[in-house]
Amino acid sequence: MTKSHYKNLSDRWKARHQDLTRKLWSKHKESLGWLSNNYRQLISGSLGGLMILTGQISNTLPSLPIAATQSTVPSLDKKTFLISDLTHILPEEIRPLESTEEQGACDILSRTYGIKVVPELDGKRLNRDYGFIGAEQHLTRYPGDNLSSHFDSNENSQLYWQQGMAPGLGAWSYFAESRDALTQEDIDREKYYIAVPTFLSKDFNRNFAEYRNFYKYRKMLVVNPNNGRAIIADIADSGPAEWTGKHLGGSPEVMHYLERFDGALKGPVLYFFVDDPNDKIKLGPIMPI
Amino acid sequence: MKKKYFYSHIVDTSSLSLELSGMDLTSIERLHLIYLVESNIHKEVLSLILSELNLSDQKKFLTHLASENHDEVWELLNDKIDGVEEKIKRTIEDLKKELHRDIKDIKN
Repeated sequence: MTKSHYKNLSDRWKARHQDLTRKLWSKHKESLGWLSNNYRQLISGSLGGLMILTGQISNTLPSLPIAATQSTVPSLDKKTFLISDLTHILPEEIRPLESTEEQGACDILSRTYGIKVVPELDGKRLNRDYGFIGAEQHLTRYPGDNLSSHFDSNENSQLYWQQGMAPGLGAWSYFAESRDALTQEDIDREKYYIAVPTFLSKDFNRNFAEYRNFYKYRKMLVVNPNNGRAIIADIADSGPAEWTGKHLGGSPEVMHYLERFDGALKGPVLYFFVDDPNDKIKLGPIMPI
Repeated sequence: MKKKYFYSHIVDTSSLSLELSGMDLTSIERLHLIYLVESNIHKEVLSLILSELNLSDQKKFLTHLASENHDEVWELLNDKIDGVEEKIKRTIEDLKKELHRDIKDIKN
């Protein structure tokens, strides 16, 4: 009961805070952007100043003393600039981006994270790259995997148990043939997965096998533009259906990290392909460089 | 000791704290929820004030706020916004009512 009350309230209030932040930036982007670009000269690094700008709120109690908190300034600072930059690019309504908006967002994200992100890779693109993300359930990684075997720590179990297991398998079946064959890469692929409507890609049905292979575990950068949190995720399932009003889905771990919620509290994310031909970029949360 | 926010002297969240203390929460969970209450209040107050100022005054306000010059914040606001303190109080009270409703919802 404790967990349920706490989680319901904290989810609701975090989502409310992000919605307020989004509206604030949308309505007052000129003055907030001005402060973002000039605050170093004006304020000489006050953490209070940064907190005005960023939509970031912690997932847990911010109990660090000020001296320790100062070490988070560079990271907060860059996230703040990211939020500010994206505010100038993204439309107020959640709709597919126009090509100039798409390119602008990719330039900002590539620069911020030091990786190359693109809306189109090998001639393939999704139906959109800015949309509402909904919550998915855990995927079965190998035959026999269930909630009792799924988590590697009590903490993760407490955080992510209640989202449950999806009744079916992911779009590419199991991640491993058996528990013994399960690798860290398989674990990460399930943990940080997203579901995207691959079936809405242009020419998907005409080149089914080619598209299926292309999308399998394809890495994408997923960004919450309201708090600057970003994660390298992989495509491991197909969906959601168009009628849901959601444009992609995130694993419980992805949703938790991005501070995104389902239902009436849903919010938008940006998602672009990561151009990583040598498979060097790890799945999971990513920080600005 | 400097107050946390320039409006700290006109905000009282004790009714929410009290409500939360009566729930089955750990102390860490309760403190985190109070922190979220404060974060929401802060954004509502910012939204109210920026909506009442022109661009030039918005920049002045944000500069004072970010520098934590509370006296200069109030000087500017009293000069530019009629009944600003009352408006801030009302905004906070409206938000508190919503947050109380949220608590009631999840209890039921």
